[in-house]
Amino acid sequence: MKEIKLVFTGSMGAGKTTAISALSEIPVINTDVRATDEAALRKERTTVAMDYGEMTLSDGQKLRLYGTPGQERFSYMWKILMEGALGLIILVDNAGEHPLQDLDLYLTHFRQYIDSTSAVIGVTRMDMAEQPGLDEYYDYLAQKELQLPIFSVDVRDRDNVVMMLEALVAMLEFAY
Amino acid sequence: MLSNLEKVQTTQLLKSLLQNTSEICAAVVTTLDGHLCAKEQRDEYALERLATMGSTLMSLGDTITAELKMGACRNIISENEGGIVAFMHINQDLVLVTLTQQLNALGMLLAHSRRCAAEIAKLLHNT
Ligand SMILES: Nc1nc2c(ncn2[C@@H]2O[C@H](COP(=O)(O)OP(=O)(O)O)[C@@H](O)[C@H]2O)c(=O)[nH]1
Ligand SMILES: [Mg+2]
Repeated sequence: MKEIKLVFTGSMGAGKTTAISALSEIPVINTDVRATDEAALRKERTTVAMDYGEMTLSDGQKLRLYGTPGQERFSYMWKILMEGALGLIILVDNAGEHPLQDLDLYLTHFRQYIDSTSAVIGVTRMDMAEQPGLDEYYDYLAQKELQLPIFSVDVRDRDNVVMMLEALVAMLEFAY
Repeated sequence: MLSNLEKVQTTQLLKSLLQNTSEICAAVVTTLDGHLCAKEQRDEYALERLATMGSTLMSLGDTITAELKMGACRNIISENEGGIVAFMHINQDLVLVTLTQQLNALGMLLAHSRRCAAEIAKLLHNT
């Protein structure tokens, strides 16, 4: 496959922007601004348009990486950014108040893409909060009649994220 | 972000903008992270959504001008079949979005919106 467009979405603070900065071989396009609401308590800056970066996998496969804003009020960007995407990565902050509910929001909004493209779930910040465990995530997906790979990732660690992306790209190559 | 008093005063300034310039049909003040602070309109637009989209567009404008090393982004103009929309910074955290349905009113829209943005910046600087 020539170039693959992948989109990172998921809850605010889960690590979409950090993941793309860790992975990108080009200077990233970043649209973070100062947070003025309750989000500022958790994180100083928040993405309002998109993140963009590029990387090459070890087999030469080029990836274009897009990150969405997390908050639902920016959901119009979700649709715009998914245009032409072949894979979706949903990141969930395990240290958030309701990680499974957070996941549910993105599963619902992106369901159509999840069913028609490939998707993986990355659970982040598990060092900060061990619960819910990955088994609870699998149970939750089973309830929704979804079968998606789930990874525990620390997005600050490039190799960690690369492993997840390689799994996603392998799913794509299998599907096409 | 803004105190209630500041919201009322900002809304007053938007009101006079619309009173003094009949071509402008709506004006919104939004935080750069997409929360509506003040609005005024003649018609029924979905201004909450416009506020959030305004923050997205303004940040893209800032990103583009930074990429091209063109200094600060003054305003973004969207000229459309049914009218013109202008997005501009009030200060570091706030954006003014104004719109007109008159296709020939670009200069007027920019001039009056810019003046209004300066007035709001001054008001918030002083409070
Ligand atoms: N402790 C810990 N921190 C993490 C982990 N993953 C991400 N972070 C931090 O969480 C924050 C995520 O912020 P950001 O990338 O802006 O999130 P976004 O809103 O999804 O774009 C950053 O400060 C990261 O350093 C993790 O696995 N463990
Ligand atoms: Mg972000």
